[in-house]
Amino acid sequence: MLRIKGLTKQYKGSNKGVVDISLAIESGDIYAFIGHNGAGKTTTLKCVVGIHGFDKGEIYINGTSIKENPLLCKKEIAYIPDNPDLYEYMTGIQYLNFIADIFEVSAADREMRIEKYAGEFEFIDSLGDLISSYSHGMKQKLAIVSALVHNPKILILDEPFVGLDPKAAVVLKGIMKELCQAGGAIFFSTHVLDVAEKLCNKVAIIKDGTLIASGMMDDIVKQGKTLESIFMEVACDAKAD
Amino acid sequence: MLKQIKTLTKLQLMNLYGINVYRYSKDKNAKKKSRFMALLYVAVGFMLCTYIGGTVYGYAYMGMSDIIPTYLIMLCSVFALFFSIFKAGGVIFQKNSYEILCSLPLSQTAIVISRFLRMYVENLIISCLIMIVGGAVYGVLETPDISFYLIGFLVVLFVPLVPITIATLIGALITAISSRMRHKGIVSAGLSVGLFLLIILGTADMSQMEGSISEDMIYSLLETVRQVIEGIYPPAVWMGDAMINGDYFTCILCVVVELVLYVIVILFVSANFRWINRGLHSTIARHDYQMESLKKNSVLKALYKKEMKRFFSSGVYVTNSIMGPVMSLVLSVTMLVIGIDTLQEKLGIPIDIKGFVPFVLAGILCIMVPSCVSISMEGKEWWIVKSLPIKTKDIIDSKILLSFSVILPFLMVSEVLLTIALRPSLMELVWQLAIPTIMVLFTCVFGVTVNLKFPLFTWENEVSVVKQSTSAFIGGIGGFVIVFICVIPVILAPTEYSDIIKAAICAVFVGITAFLYKKNISVSMTDL
Repeated sequence: MLRIKGLTKQYKGSNKGVVDISLAIESGDIYAFIGHNGAGKTTTLKCVVGIHGFDKGEIYINGTSIKENPLLCKKEIAYIPDNPDLYEYMTGIQYLNFIADIFEVSAADREMRIEKYAGEFEFIDSLGDLISSYSHGMKQKLAIVSALVHNPKILILDEPFVGLDPKAAVVLKGIMKELCQAGGAIFFSTHVLDVAEKLCNKVAIIKDGTLIASGMMDDIVKQGKTLESIFMEVACDAKAD
Repeated sequence: MLKQIKTLTKLQLMNLYGINVYRYSKDKNAKKKSRFMALLYVAVGFMLCTYIGGTVYGYAYMGMSDIIPTYLIMLCSVFALFFSIFKAGGVIFQKNSYEILCSLPLSQTAIVISRFLRMYVENLIISCLIMIVGGAVYGVLETPDISFYLIGFLVVLFVPLVPITIATLIGALITAISSRMRHKGIVSAGLSVGLFLLIILGTADMSQMEGSISEDMIYSLLETVRQVIEGIYPPAVWMGDAMINGDYFTCILCVVVELVLYVIVILFVSANFRWINRGLHSTIARHDYQMESLKKNSVLKALYKKEMKRFFSSGVYVTNSIMGPVMSLVLSVTMLVIGIDTLQEKLGIPIDIKGFVPFVLAGILCIMVPSCVSISMEGKEWWIVKSLPIKTKDIIDSKILLSFSVILPFLMVSEVLLTIALRPSLMELVWQLAIPTIMVLFTCVFGVTVNLKFPLFTWENEVSVVKQSTSAFIGGIGGFVIVFICVIPVILAPTEYSDIIKAAICAVFVGITAFLYKKNISVSMTDL
């Protein structure tokens, strides 16, 4: 569903960026993307969703190149950033309606999905309030609901559990599983390795802009070890190098 | 406390005019833009210096040297007042840094003083420029005593204080009133525009009074200028006289009074700082929403509605954008009430201005159109538009539509009023309708072009985008300057060619607008 081939993105006047990243996310995958701060996770995700352009490589969403047809690709995906900076001058419902308008979701479908997901996150009563009055967690919940309002096939999430209360985190995990069971795919970055290990079937580790491991979770996390210990080993090895 | 003030002021001044970004950014493009902005500032500074030097020389040439120091002080004060009045609220009650600073062990007074000092430094730069250039020309022509320079030095340092004090009081008052309202942006803009109109009406009233006196009593030109300045701002005359007469006592008295006023306002703001901030930055949450039926809109309509909401949520954005349109109404009403002939006579313009009215209207309407900062105003939320499946054309169209929607009502009312006032012929009516409409459309599109070239998303305070960014500067006055340039061939050419020239101007600007629009919609949003 999502194929990244030799992705290279360098920021102007800086050594930072990502080099030759290749990944394949298939239908039903919950793919974790882990790495240090500044390793290149957010850069990769932003390239995938079309926020950043890139220097080399290709990104295909359901076989369509994001370079050649960004609009078609963006219709298939939904993105939630690490920091939910939303339109603070709108109310929650106005924001959701705006996103639904952009994705051309029918009135009936948007009402049904908003009610379903905002209901699961228990914040329907706050949808009439300005987003500027929301807490960080509430904004995160709103960003998640807005990502689901058009029933995306692929979810791209950057640190989605940050700011969520335990109950909301459980709800999100349930939604992620549900989406994958319905044939969708999820690619998300996280620092919560325990969650990644339990929730994901695939994992990729990035360090200093380069992919140092990727594949099935069971293949990477070998007998008696945890994802955390593997990550520390890999990170220490890279440091020693 | 002093250490805190020093640290906080340093923080405030660190990125004034983008200096810190220029020093530490590794992005070559950002540096290039900073250099360009610096060049613009230098060019404007140079123009200001030329204007000051020329005016001072003119006064001296007409034998009015005694009024020069008063005139320079008045000019510094007017600049300080107008540069501060609409941004005092935004600078002193900055939201983001307020939250961070309040969590630190810092004195509230130190925070307030540092913000006042930032405004003081900004205005001091302009005051220095005016006083040094004006003083130097005066010095060469009149060779005054050393006391002139000594008092002049003191005056330069203290002259911005009273205008900043007045601006802050008004800014704080507007902020405090609007902070209690649900629609803060609209209320704040309404109050600001109301104040602006009050100043214009007040000044007009004063010039009326001055006119009748001069007719009756035949004052000398020097006395007239002096009287006008004294009527508007008496300290300028007191300090100006002190400079000419070497009157240290009056100068020091003025300085002390200014300083005391400044300190009183700082203490007043410090005492109410938390209260005003709380009111300003807190939002009402009712938690009583119940699902209701939702309406589907087209992508463009959804974007347009978003733009309108963004626009009316920000007082500084609205105020800045509708000053020009409000001025166009003032102009039209003036023409309707007193008639074009009386206006021409009062302004002492030797040529028939009826043919230039469409350009004047266009020029005023083209000042600070919203489109020149509308992309930068997306700020940290820019990721939303970039990640959604939206055509660049729709984004650009929504920005242009917003600008045109803001200006259109003012344009239409002005056109109706001017038609009644001027009773134009058919051809005159055609130009009266076509020139402003085409120029406004051009400026809206040009504003987007400039903002695409100089976007600024990493801002903390809306004031820095709306009033201080490169695109606000170029796009905000670019339209006005271009309209002004267009008038030159109309003035210079014989009257019989007037219609042909106007038609050519319209055709050229329709072409340029179409070209810029095509260029704008072909920009890749991922590059921004």
